[in-house]
Amino acid sequence: MVKMKKINKRLSLVRSTPSMLGQRKAQMKIQQMAFMLIAVTIFLVMAGMFILMIRFSSLQDTAKLLDERNALLLVSKIADSPEFSCGNAFGAARSNCIDTDKVMALTGRLRDYPGFWGVSGIEIRKIYPAGTGTECSLENYPECEKITVVDSGEGTGVSNFVSLCRKEQNNLIYDKCELGRIIVTYKGND
Amino acid sequence: MKKRLTAIYTGKMLNKKRDNKIIKINNNFHIKGLNLNKKGFIQISFTWLFAIIIGAIILFFAIYASVKLMKTEESVSSAEAGREISVLLNPLETGFGEEKTTPLTIPVESRLNNRCESFTGFGEQEVSVSQKIRGKWTYAGVGSVTYNKYIFSNKSVQGKNFYLFSKPLEFPFKIADLIFLTSAEESYCFIDSPEKIQEELTSLSQANLFTENCPSDSIKVCFEGGEDCVVAVDINDRTVEKDGSIVYFETDSLMYGAVFSDKEIYECQVQRLMKRLKELAFIYNDKENIISVKGCPAEVNLLGLADSASSLRDSSDLVVVKAAADDVEDENERAYCELW
Repeated sequence: MVKMKKINKRLSLVRSTPSMLGQRKAQMKIQQMAFMLIAVTIFLVMAGMFILMIRFSSLQDTAKLLDERNALLLVSKIADSPEFSCGNAFGAARSNCIDTDKVMALTGRLRDYPGFWGVSGIEIRKIYPAGTGTECSLENYPECEKITVVDSGEGTGVSNFVSLCRKEQNNLIYDKCELGRIIVTYKGND
Repeated sequence: MKKRLTAIYTGKMLNKKRDNKIIKINNNFHIKGLNLNKKGFIQISFTWLFAIIIGAIILFFAIYASVKLMKTEESVSSAEAGREISVLLNPLETGFGEEKTTPLTIPVESRLNNRCESFTGFGEQEVSVSQKIRGKWTYAGVGSVTYNKYIFSNKSVQGKNFYLFSKPLEFPFKIADLIFLTSAEESYCFIDSPEKIQEELTSLSQANLFTENCPSDSIKVCFEGGEDCVVAVDINDRTVEKDGSIVYFETDSLMYGAVFSDKEIYECQVQRLMKRLKELAFIYNDKENIISVKGCPAEVNLLGLADSASSLRDSSDLVVVKAAADDVEDENERAYCELW
């Protein structure tokens, strides 16, 4: 028993050597610092990700806003673009007039116009006289109400009133104009 | 016992070494009693060393990320400006036979870079913006690409205020609205221009286009020769000579295009316009077939026009397309049902 006490006393003397105590303290400090550094790094990464998330969200908003403005400005002017406009084909030149005969010809050549107008959808609807909303094709034209120039699927639409003019025959060939709307769609809800 | 280092200000440089002991080490301080032979003469604990290294790494990455983020922000800002300009070009779509001018102001000094590509489909028009921030030009961010716009300008136009002047190109039907982009810092003086051009420019009231009382530093556009002409227009031969190279034009719209743009941009835009002309000719041809069912006789040969437009190599071939366009216009005017 006495022997054991002596051994323990010696061991405790060994354990409590100042240099070894210092090493253990240093190890503790290194561990503390390592944990601190990991925590600081994680915090910085998270803060960075948060900033980036906010920035990209505002970028998306800006892109959406620009798309909306593009659609709004385009819808008021698209009727005057050469693929749609009446020109002088129906007497005097007129603004916001769509030549539906020409648009029907355009629908047959849309494969050459991918992304040409920079919007996700363009649709022309006859609103007066009202009809059943039948989609126009070369077979049923002009007994139809809707011409899809660019099929949008989903999106937000902005529209403008236009006159829809075409050649008609009733013994004589004459110009017939009806009230319609052109709808330009942009991807606003993504 | 460790020796303490003591720094004493002396105010002059001595650099003496005696018995391996540095007495003075720099021009303003000397360190007393530092023995270089002794191990651990500068005692830095491992903890400090570790903290300094890791701290430096973190600082380096933080600074690197900040610089990258700033550059990205500049690119984003430039890209937004480019897109905004493209969007603002929409109202320049004109009605029948009218011209429009609109000022464009950018909050900071900017360079608008005009890129034109004519190989795919209808070709591409790209506008990118490089902004002057803290005295340095930023990288021109992602450009805004459009397919239905035709901007005639130099490859790079610099300034804070710009003018966008648009005029339809009818060849013989309307093909597109041509947009002429100029910086407010550059003024153009149209000397001896035909009356029609003078009237048009006067009615436009664009502040940097002059037909008389031109500022001394303006770019001289001469129609009947003269001294110090930067651009020489020959109305009879339908040529525009600029920077030692000649381009060809038909109609006033393309003449303006040749005056305001580089040769490369002009030729590219002409190619793109001819592609659109070809496609529109096909559309009018199909329209002719559609209305022929309603009793309108097919009297206009549009396929010849499409053919000549598609075989255009450069602006010198415009004369061939113009001849075909004139024929088609005559046919259309005589037709029972006009197509345009």
